[in-house]
Amino acid sequence: MSREWTSKLLTRFAIAGAILGSAVVAGQAQETIRVGAPLPMTGPLAPEGAKQKKGYDLWAETANAKGGIKANGKTYKVEIVYFDYASNTPRAVQGAERMITEDKVNFLFAPFGSGASKAASSVSERYGIPTIAATASSAEVYDQGYKFLFGTLTPNETVTEPIANIVTSKNKDVKKVAILARNDLFPLAVAQQMEKSLKAKGMEIVAFERYAIGTMDHSAAVTQMRAARPDWVYATGYVNDLILIRKQMNELGLRPKVITMVAGPAYREFAEATGPLGENISSVAWWHPAVRYKGKDVFGTTEAFNKAWDAKYKGEADYAEASAAAAGAILQLGIEKADSIDPKKVRDALASLDVETFYGKVKFGPSGQITSLEPPVFQLRGGKTVVVWPEAVKQGELEFFK
Amino acid sequence: MKRDWVILVCGAAAIGALGWSGDNYFIRLLTILCMYATLAQSWNFIGGFAGYPSFATAAFFGLGAYTSGVLQNQGLPILMCWGLAGLCAAVFAVLIGGAILHLRGHYFAIATLIIAEMLREIVNTTPNLTGGGMGLNLPILRISVDVQSRVFLLAMLVLAVVTTAAAILLQRSRLGFGLRCIQQNESAASILGVNAYQYKTAAFGMSAVFVGMAGAIYASWVNYIEPPDVFDILIAVKPLVMVLLGGIGTIFGPIIGAMVLLALEELVWRNFLTVHAAALGVIIILLVLFLPNGLFSLLKDLSAKRAKQ
Repeated sequence: MSREWTSKLLTRFAIAGAILGSAVVAGQAQETIRVGAPLPMTGPLAPEGAKQKKGYDLWAETANAKGGIKANGKTYKVEIVYFDYASNTPRAVQGAERMITEDKVNFLFAPFGSGASKAASSVSERYGIPTIAATASSAEVYDQGYKFLFGTLTPNETVTEPIANIVTSKNKDVKKVAILARNDLFPLAVAQQMEKSLKAKGMEIVAFERYAIGTMDHSAAVTQMRAARPDWVYATGYVNDLILIRKQMNELGLRPKVITMVAGPAYREFAEATGPLGENISSVAWWHPAVRYKGKDVFGTTEAFNKAWDAKYKGEADYAEASAAAAGAILQLGIEKADSIDPKKVRDALASLDVETFYGKVKFGPSGQITSLEPPVFQLRGGKTVVVWPEAVKQGELEFFK
Repeated sequence: MKRDWVILVCGAAAIGALGWSGDNYFIRLLTILCMYATLAQSWNFIGGFAGYPSFATAAFFGLGAYTSGVLQNQGLPILMCWGLAGLCAAVFAVLIGGAILHLRGHYFAIATLIIAEMLREIVNTTPNLTGGGMGLNLPILRISVDVQSRVFLLAMLVLAVVTTAAAILLQRSRLGFGLRCIQQNESAASILGVNAYQYKTAAFGMSAVFVGMAGAIYASWVNYIEPPDVFDILIAVKPLVMVLLGGIGTIFGPIIGAMVLLALEELVWRNFLTVHAAALGVIIILLVLFLPNGLFSLLKDLSAKRAKQ
């Protein structure tokens, strides 16, 4: 009895010792850069949150494995502080403030998507904490004159112009376009931009339908679009919306010459869920594993990044994952350039950055949004993505439905 | 009644003093507390006193937020926008109340549930005025972070105090008495000469005015609103849980409930990275199961026991 008690006591001491010990170790390793990352780890956006987390983790691991970040004559380890905001934007804003004031993070990664990034950036702007948004492409996010917000996705027109050019130049029979957009910041903004790009080319918009977030049945919209007999269907939304739309288009017999969907087909899940129905769907992504850049960042070349990704997660990264890793790599370049972790100096260094990375050329415009990327256009064939633009990384030609 | 006023003044002073000295995140938590205290107190007018389970809180909140947001973007001064948001929510509540307050029990609950959905769709389909699904920016106040956080705490605190003062006045008034009659037996109350329809409409309007203003202050505070955030069903459910937790139909029950629920939420959120929602759900179920009359009743029981001894 008493022996048991003694052993229990000993275990407790051991645990207490271990905790104390780790605290001492943590105390010694003071030179740490803490980056806050509010993410939707639960709730409807959880899959997107998981992608971002993979990108951040790979960056932190790679940066630490290569000896950390050097600035100010010191070497800093990277630590990412996560916070689950359960896909609820006000929570993300609250989390951002908590990370800045309590966890004392030096820098921040914005939450997922344009809306939440915009909301959270008002907090980091007030505190003057440089914030990098990996998944916010709409120009509206950056239109508030904020100085501390940077985005790694180019404005929406860079994903609408190229595909409008390719389709119109390759097939003169495509004249009538139907657009179906999710009523949400990014999907709606990109659809409106597409409408502009198409009108500029003299195309006719025969339908422009909006669907609410969380819509589970698109048959009414699809039937209306079918009545307008479009040559081209352009649908926007997130991966689950687009899978459903593709299936319902097939069931209801909407068969245009071109189907373009943003931003689902870039994800493996889309090709897996649609199977043969995914064939020939075209899309645009801000990044694709087939691009080739010689980066000066921690990952180096695009090939090296692909290899590192495959070693950790198996397979290829999609644009959202690569953009999250790039957000880290870019932050690191900014810190190294500033040679300081002072938020103001890092902010200025980021703003003046002009450098090639595994992700592409990185240069931010006056609003803080990246302006130097060339988002590739690609098409699904046999469950694989085939890049059809730009010329430098082209893997095949755009094909049309018969 | 005198004791109620004393508690109110002391409580408000305590929160004000705590906020003045705390850091910005703590101030944010206190601001959220005052906001939810306002919402819970407002729900208590219709749900507690009159016994009509309303889910319209989110609708009034969102309506206030958007009213103030749109008006501020037209260049109106901020305080005027907050006031107009409250007025707009109250008028809306009276109009809609006229249509649905003859429904009772579950029927009333369901009718109020769709009001927020309806408003959300209206906002979504008028992008030129409200920004639609792209959300709405509000002018950012160019004052320092520390001042800003205190200004918004003060605004929410004043609102919570005013709402609670209204509850104290209501409890002793003819209207409050009539509402309690309605809650116990509406038919009997009508026979006794209580104009149930008018009384319920007044309570519904009262439950909207402060919520609309809270929405307006919230919108100015976060600078950017979008329909899924301000018409969130949780904004309707949480005040209800808070009132149940604190003690239904009491003056300080809603505030105690708001404090306890938000403190639990914050604690659970800090300690469970991924299972927080489940953990919080279990705690709420346990509290409601074992304390059906709320925490306030526990305090009362204790003081009653002590009095006996």
